[in-house]
Amino acid sequence: MSVTSENRTHDAAAFSLWRHRFAFPIRMGSGLATILKGVPLLVVFFAFWEAAPRLGLLNPIFFPPLSVVVEAWLEMIRTGVLGRNIGISLQRATLGFALAVAVALPLGVLMGRYARFEQLTDLMVQTLRNTSQFALLPVFIMLLGIGEASKVAICFYASVFFLLVNTISGVKSVDPLFLKAARSMGASDLDIFVKVILPASIPSIAAGARLAVKASIVAVIGAEMLAAQSGLGYLIHQSQLMMETPDMYAGILTLTFIGLAVNYLLVALEARATAWRGQAEGAPH
Amino acid sequence: MDRIRLEDVRKTFTLKAGQTVSLGGVPTNRIPVLSGVDLTIRKGEFVTLAGPSGSGKSVLLDIIGGLTEASSGTAYVGATPVTRPDPSTAYVFQQYALFPWRTAQQNIEFALEVRGVPKAERRERARRYLALFGLRGFEDRYPAQLSGGMQQRVAIARALSTDPEVLLMDEPFAALDAQTRDILQGELLRIWDEIKTTIVFVTHSIDEAVYLADRVVVMTARPGTVKEIIEIDLPRPRDLEIRNTAAFARLRGRVWEVLRDEVTKAQRDWQIAAH
Repeated sequence: MSVTSENRTHDAAAFSLWRHRFAFPIRMGSGLATILKGVPLLVVFFAFWEAAPRLGLLNPIFFPPLSVVVEAWLEMIRTGVLGRNIGISLQRATLGFALAVAVALPLGVLMGRYARFEQLTDLMVQTLRNTSQFALLPVFIMLLGIGEASKVAICFYASVFFLLVNTISGVKSVDPLFLKAARSMGASDLDIFVKVILPASIPSIAAGARLAVKASIVAVIGAEMLAAQSGLGYLIHQSQLMMETPDMYAGILTLTFIGLAVNYLLVALEARATAWRGQAEGAPH
Repeated sequence: MDRIRLEDVRKTFTLKAGQTVSLGGVPTNRIPVLSGVDLTIRKGEFVTLAGPSGSGKSVLLDIIGGLTEASSGTAYVGATPVTRPDPSTAYVFQQYALFPWRTAQQNIEFALEVRGVPKAERRERARRYLALFGLRGFEDRYPAQLSGGMQQRVAIARALSTDPEVLLMDEPFAALDAQTRDILQGELLRIWDEIKTTIVFVTHSIDEAVYLADRVVVMTARPGTVKEIIEIDLPRPRDLEIRNTAAFARLRGRVWEVLRDEVTKAQRDWQIAAH
């Protein structure tokens, strides 16, 4: 056995590890640099927002200057109005999403794994999936009342199909070799479900979860605008009706920030859950 | 003592309804892959299976491993007919088949987890087998962070960690570069020399077949059956230099001679299938 070539193998692997270690911060760095490149345009946008109403280019009643909006925003934070409404909206969206996870994961695993079960259920799922959750709001209200349940239901409905479809495709695309290997080691069906199919589907499920969370937030805002006495959607809608436009824009900006924050959080969570996969590119074979 | 016994093992694949292939000019949806394999493998023996593509070598391995059922005939491991994967049989695949979401250590522990081995013992055994393959310090690496050779070492370590009585290897080194392949062949022989488990090893490489084996089983072209068994009476332990000896060259020539007609037949078979 040649000792030198042995070392070479290890060297190659060590080099690739070294490369991976440095690849991550570099990617992060370039990501930040990319974001910074977009900042000037954003500054121009905010400057225009501030200046245009003051210069009479836009009607300040419909478009109050940014500083006035920020003032209203700080006032709403101070009085606790904003915090309370954010809390209510997020609670509805989270409950709806959690219910969707509880339903979509087991159902998706079954549909992805058992072709016959999928044949029985797929048409039903496709029919429901293509029915707008907002069109169903009156139905939810009739069934569940005007209270929390109907808002949670609409969030559930908006998010469940993203999770379901991605769970099914994740389960279906599990490499048959993994299943064969697990079977060869004497794994039971339950072992194969829990220790092979589920972890192998995580990347797909996580991608679905990201879409589902966004859909859930969109749904709660819409529902609150249509039929609610609280929440961010209600706040925005009500401010518009009362012509309190600074409050309205403050609400809209708050939604933007929540959207950005949730997106970054979910991307980070997804990256963490699938860390084993991210390093695959450029790996030696 | 016999460890594995195959009695007239046959396997025919049936295509889905509507699908047909042309065999000898006749359209059919049934493809015979194995046509009556009889073979006995002794306890602790290292047997390599060589044969042209499509001769059913891998299918035969699957049947011994209980991953596929024979259409007729019986495979025995020990005294019992194989009907499903047996805990005393382990399998190593060409594409490693490591779980990418588990570290090297966790991959080895998988085989022990599903057997209900307690956690402390799992950890200890996984570490021991990684060390045996020179992978100390790589326990927490994910497969994507390991070279192909290291991944296959982990896969072999995983298979051996359960103390199998039979180790089935399906072209385990075919995806590796020539140097890494040489190294791993040497490591496999070194470890086999210590544990003396029964190994059935499928390969396309005549050199590999001769270098590793006590006996080389040459299969015919599809439908596969045993064409000839060649005793490899080279002394052990064998080092790489043994390949340069006249005795090795003679055995290599012998295997090739038996194999040549079958390879030609297999090629003709594929040409017919392509038309």
